[in-house]
Amino acid sequence: MTDEIRTFLFAALTEMKYDAEDADDDTVFGPAGLDVDSLGLAELAVRVEDRFGVAFDDDEAEDLAMMTVGELCRSVQARIQPASAH
Amino acid sequence: MRPIVTVTGVGLVSPVGATAAEVFTAVGEGRSGLTRPPEGHPVHGVVDVAGFSPPIDPASVLPGPESRVVDRSIVMALRAAEDALADAGVQVGRDVDPYRIAVIVSGVGGLSTLESQVLERARRGRFGVSPYMLPGTLPNMGAARIAIRFGVRGYTSSIGTACAAGAQSIGEAVRILRAGEADMVLCGCSEAPLFPTFADAFGNARALARGWSDPTAASRPFDRRRNGLVLGEGAGVLLLERAAHAAARGARRYADVLGWGATNDAHHPTTPRPDGTGAAQCMRIALRDAGLRPDDIGYVNAHGTGTRAGDAAEATALREVYGSSTPPVSSTKGVTGHLLGVSGVVEAAVCAEVLRTGLLPPTHNLDDPDPACEMDLIRKEPRAVPVRAVLSNSFGFGGHNVSLVLGHPEPLPG
Repeated sequence: MTDEIRTFLFAALTEMKYDAEDADDDTVFGPAGLDVDSLGLAELAVRVEDRFGVAFDDDEAEDLAMMTVGELCRSVQARIQPASAH
Repeated sequence: MRPIVTVTGVGLVSPVGATAAEVFTAVGEGRSGLTRPPEGHPVHGVVDVAGFSPPIDPASVLPGPESRVVDRSIVMALRAAEDALADAGVQVGRDVDPYRIAVIVSGVGGLSTLESQVLERARRGRFGVSPYMLPGTLPNMGAARIAIRFGVRGYTSSIGTACAAGAQSIGEAVRILRAGEADMVLCGCSEAPLFPTFADAFGNARALARGWSDPTAASRPFDRRRNGLVLGEGAGVLLLERAAHAAARGARRYADVLGWGATNDAHHPTTPRPDGTGAAQCMRIALRDAGLRPDDIGYVNAHGTGTRAGDAAEATALREVYGSSTPPVSSTKGVTGHLLGVSGVVEAAVCAEVLRTGLLPPTHNLDDPDPACEMDLIRKEPRAVPVRAVLSNSFGFGGHNVSLVLGHPEPLPG
């Protein structure tokens, strides 16, 4: 599932005209990495919500800039399958 | 003595050219920019004829992610501003203090993008709405994005007076420069009305020219057979500058803006006051502001959109100011179509060329002048008459009237 989320994120970023070619799980979304601005992060959050049926709180969306691609993938997966740890 | 305000840069996006000289040549030669909508265009099958400006890749004026959900009006505004600055040889920060340059670029906003977002919202719910929609559509975003792109940090605004907005932006720029609040102002307008909802609104209001087998014959201001306006898209930005500032940097001066006036008809949201008194008083105020008498005007570039009521009301207004002996009058919308608020900017650029060349452009398609529009109308061929000063009218929905007076660059005192 994480692979599917990652593939979706990279496709979305490319469609949004960000250069995600060299990005990997350790790349952050903010200025130190993909440099996605606040509106871009908001759009990415909406796309993920739409595609995977999850929801981000407003302050969580703001924190996306500090997250890596891998962290977001795991966070989305955890929301999709909250009971999978049991 | 109040500062002289001069035009040092022109940037146009229009159906008939990108510079003052190109537009003036098309107008003089009667080379129409009006065509049938091309296959696949959103207004194909919606309107008979329109004025299409050249396509511009949004990525050529905005960084990648910003360029996806941005209205064409903003893209055209950015291109026109870029061209105006280049034409004037100005780099913000090098040739002008960033806090001493202002932007007043107007228009109705990105309604086409709003239309598509509303349709997406209806189809997909909130997931269809882009967070980029507001910066891509708000009416101030042409001015704001010009400021962001070129590092302009002074007064920045946009004016919402419909088809008078471009001329009014020039007028407000004059006010700011005279008050000493800036050394330069990028002023103008951008309009992208060629999408179905907007075009249908004009069509259902019976404002659009219709039934012409030749699209280049559809826009015919002051002609007896005129039956409406032809919508066009475009942008126009002028760089206005204090003449002393322009002289200090050795800049070319196209023309001076000698004066301007603004009034309201206080009559009806869309119909002009038939007695023309609001427009007449507007012209008188502009003349007084310029320190000129009516007889000093050698040419009038009319608003003249080709609607039955509008053209007749403007002619009545001109006769109110001039009696039976008006200066030579023409409308250049016969070849450009009606670019809404942008018209006043394109026509100010045409007026600058009139002053430079001494040629007064004709009204295209004015085959049989309407007796209700009786004036000294220029038909068929340009008239060669050197003029001292020219007047340009712009009128907008809401009863907004704006008149500009332009003249040859005046010598600086001292």
